[in-house]
Amino acid sequence: MKTLFQTSWKLAPVLLLMLVGTVTARAQGAKLQLDQLDALANKANEAVDVRLDERLLQTTAKYFTGKDPDDAGVREVLKGLKGIYVKSFSFEKDGEYSQAEVDSVTSQLRQAGWSKIVGIVSKKGGENVEVYLNTAGDQINGLAVVSIDPKEFTVVNIVGPIDLEKLSKLEGQFGVPDLGMEKPKAKKPE
Amino acid sequence: MTKTRFTIAGLVFAMLFGALGASGIARGDGFNDAVKTIEQFYHVKHQNIPFLARAGMKAVRTAARIKGGEYKKLAEAGSVRVVFFEDQNFDSRGQMASFKATLHGILSAEWSPLVQTLAPRDEEQNHIYVRAAGEKFSVLVVTIQRREATVVQATLAPQVLADLMKDPNEMGKALREDATINDN
Repeated sequence: MKTLFQTSWKLAPVLLLMLVGTVTARAQGAKLQLDQLDALANKANEAVDVRLDERLLQTTAKYFTGKDPDDAGVREVLKGLKGIYVKSFSFEKDGEYSQAEVDSVTSQLRQAGWSKIVGIVSKKGGENVEVYLNTAGDQINGLAVVSIDPKEFTVVNIVGPIDLEKLSKLEGQFGVPDLGMEKPKAKKPE
Repeated sequence: MTKTRFTIAGLVFAMLFGALGASGIARGDGFNDAVKTIEQFYHVKHQNIPFLARAGMKAVRTAARIKGGEYKKLAEAGSVRVVFFEDQNFDSRGQMASFKATLHGILSAEWSPLVQTLAPRDEEQNHIYVRAAGEKFSVLVVTIQRREATVVQATLAPQVLADLMKDPNEMGKALREDATINDN
């Protein structure tokens, strides 16, 4: 009995670490690992890397006063966000980035918690835009947009409670490119 | 007599320390580190802005005011540090991403990367880092082009940072222009 008690105490820190690790992993679950894409910058015409963390976003949110209706909308969107991360590469020629580089991102989006929103199309045309939501129960933990074009590759990762409607308010601001996304309109019954 | 000597010695010390503080890279911090990283990676040497150039910048600002349109200052007064690299070769030899990684490795302990824009074919790059400075924010902007580079550090009020963050891609340009047409 004494041995069991002593063993339990020895295991306690390990269990505590595992518990903390699980909680942290859940919070960080919506944040994608994108640093592996950095080497693409050497081949790109232009590479843009934007990282806005929680502290910066919350500081910024305070200064959207709400006098302008657009500002009020942006403030509401920014309020709960923990981060906005954007990596965008544009190339001179087709095929300057590989499927492996795309897979290094999309493989993370096939993991538990992520689900693809179907039926999203880009108004720009020609671009293959995929949108993923990271959820835990009813709670949205984050969103990812992967835009694949022969001459462009963009990943937008927003950590925190966000949906497509809110995302559209951020497009063209805070480093989030204008992705021109829209849901296809439902056909009217004849 | 002794009192006068001490006073003179004190004045000399004050002037020496003042001069060190005023020169761009006297202090060992992110600004200094960024300058050194550029020098080592590209084998170049920085120049501080000459006194006459500063006077010229003041003239430019005054001229801008006379022309109309009030110039809106971004950086807090007295907070700007600038170093120039002029007419030198900034050829990345296809390793611009490596420079980005090196700079990040050196700065990331104290600074957070905000925006980085690289255009290897045009040999142009912008790196913006930020860190909290009490209630305000310090922003470090490294701009490198084919033949010149600039390192700017400035303190910004949160409101100014918030405005600039709406368009992070333009932030570097705005801050660089602010630093080089201000003599603060």
